[in-house]
Amino acid sequence: MNEEFLAAKELRKAFNGNVAVDVVSFSIMRKEIFGLLGPNGAGKTTTIRMMATVLPPDGGDVMVDGHSVLRHAGEVRKLIGVCPQELALYPELTALENLVFFGQMAGLGGKQAKEAAGENLLLVGLQDRAKDAVAKFSGGMKRRVNLAISLMSRPALLFLDEPTVGIDPQSRNHIFETVQRLRGEGMTVLYTTHYMEEADRLCDRLAIMDHGQLIAVGTPRELKAQIGQPEKVTLEEVFLSLTGRRLRD
Amino acid sequence: MSGLLRQAWVISLKDTRLFVRDRFALAFALAFPLLFVLGFTLALGNISSPDQPIVLRVATQEQEGISTQIIAALTAGEESVFQEIAYDEARLAVKHGRLGGFVAFPADFTASLLAGGKTRIEVVSRSEDPNRRAALEGFAHALAGQISLAREAVATVAALKARETGATPALDVGSLIQPTALVAMETEQVGPARPIRASNFTLPGYLTMFVFFAAAMGAEAVARERQTQTLERMLSNGVRRESILLGKYLSTAYRGLLQLAVLWIVGIFGFNVELGPEPVAVIAISVLMVLASAGFGIMLASLVNTVRSADSVGILTSIVLAPVGGCWWPLFIAPAWMQTLSKLTPHGWANSAFNKLMLFGAEPGNVAWEMTALALFGAGFVAVALWRFRMAPAR
Repeated sequence: MNEEFLAAKELRKAFNGNVAVDVVSFSIMRKEIFGLLGPNGAGKTTTIRMMATVLPPDGGDVMVDGHSVLRHAGEVRKLIGVCPQELALYPELTALENLVFFGQMAGLGGKQAKEAAGENLLLVGLQDRAKDAVAKFSGGMKRRVNLAISLMSRPALLFLDEPTVGIDPQSRNHIFETVQRLRGEGMTVLYTTHYMEEADRLCDRLAIMDHGQLIAVGTPRELKAQIGQPEKVTLEEVFLSLTGRRLRD
Repeated sequence: MSGLLRQAWVISLKDTRLFVRDRFALAFALAFPLLFVLGFTLALGNISSPDQPIVLRVATQEQEGISTQIIAALTAGEESVFQEIAYDEARLAVKHGRLGGFVAFPADFTASLLAGGKTRIEVVSRSEDPNRRAALEGFAHALAGQISLAREAVATVAALKARETGATPALDVGSLIQPTALVAMETEQVGPARPIRASNFTLPGYLTMFVFFAAAMGAEAVARERQTQTLERMLSNGVRRESILLGKYLSTAYRGLLQLAVLWIVGIFGFNVELGPEPVAVIAISVLMVLASAGFGIMLASLVNTVRSADSVGILTSIVLAPVGGCWWPLFIAPAWMQTLSKLTPHGWANSAFNKLMLFGAEPGNVAWEMTALALFGAGFVAVALWRFRMAPAR
């Protein structure tokens, strides 16, 4: 787990003069679950989009298993899976059709994609609803389909951008267990969330972003130790102490 | 390259599946145009009447004389297209719009002819009936020419006879202007003359409009995919931007071809639409029109940012381009400036070709410009799409 798998180096991104990510650097170790926390507008999603090769950085670079997102985007894309914050799927299609389609987009043949879709639907507990249109699913089920799609290429590095937002505790717990199981199988995970207890329970290390900058990195225990006794302090208290109590847009 | 095509193929199949499952989109693309064609075909009926000869009315202000002989000769026989009418009655009928026009001989017609002087034939017609005026003028010119020849002939014969016997021959100009006098003209009409069916121009017009409309509305689906990040998801999966663009182009083209097939088949069997003597050329124009519309769809998708702007631009362009391009009425009845304006739209070129081929029996060579223009429009649209297509909403 001490082998560096992803290294973000001085990443910068601005939109129409507004700085979204301001010289951010961090590393993620192989098989690690790395949490990226921050209030709304902190720059988490922009950072993930740059790491996922869909948004070119204005400055800096990201190395994934030795491949630069700027120079070897194709190689990087073979290694990653992205579960975006939005439900990036087609509600009119069935769960199976969604998974097969994105599997084929990831380079799988038709038969391979069907097999992988079956495995991933089993993984997220939707094997019995494979042939139902996603539009009929609950929010939690849609989130699980969203996650399953990102696993179609069996990526070595999985980006999960708030995968549990707005869903019931059962679905959240299922996603939770799925992520832990994937890590157990050797997958590296970058996880963003607003739920501090989730991050505390799941992540090996955490980074906290605010105003486009990285303001703290460490294990949950190390971060808690910054403001008190780790056993008595919650991660939410650490987060509020670092980012302030002012409301964000 | 094969990866690009394979990805584009899979994307196009997915989009086609989405289209087929969307009942409203399906009805909009297929049933709406048929309803429009049905409605306008019923409303317009046959835009020309069956073949009916024009009846030419002839009047004279003379009590008797050469003009009465001429009228008697013209109106003889059951199949004559001439009918005698009293002069005052004819004038009144034209004035009140009950008669399109007539030809009349003046009261001094015979006297002037016999005196060797000039005379005249009067053509009276209503200004809004140019066809009848043309027919009456043609008849009057022919009659004037024939009377002149007859008078010369009679004068010559009279002079010769007078030289021999010193007697004056009876003058019978009427016998000399019989239609069978010297050169007879025979008109043969092969087959019954049928009116132009309204469906022969309403169907290609509304087909063009709705193919472009459906393609334009496809831009909305792309804008929605940008918002839900499915395009970005594909990109992070290793799909090339060109594959996505080609996939969108192909799915729009499939949709257009489906519209084409359904509308032509229903049109031919349900509305008695006739493709004209060159059906292959009509199909070729249809396919070129669909390819141009697919390019139009992805170009709009590359220019709009949000779902709302895609909706607005799609509806606006369709509503504006359809009438300008001759989808709502035949271009050949539009003023010249509008016909020129239509050349700025692919709709105009497509409808021009459809009208030439289906209404006027043109050959494929006659629509070469239209084919070239549609191909150039299609290529231009695709070029803009390649230049401007984005995977994510602009910020």
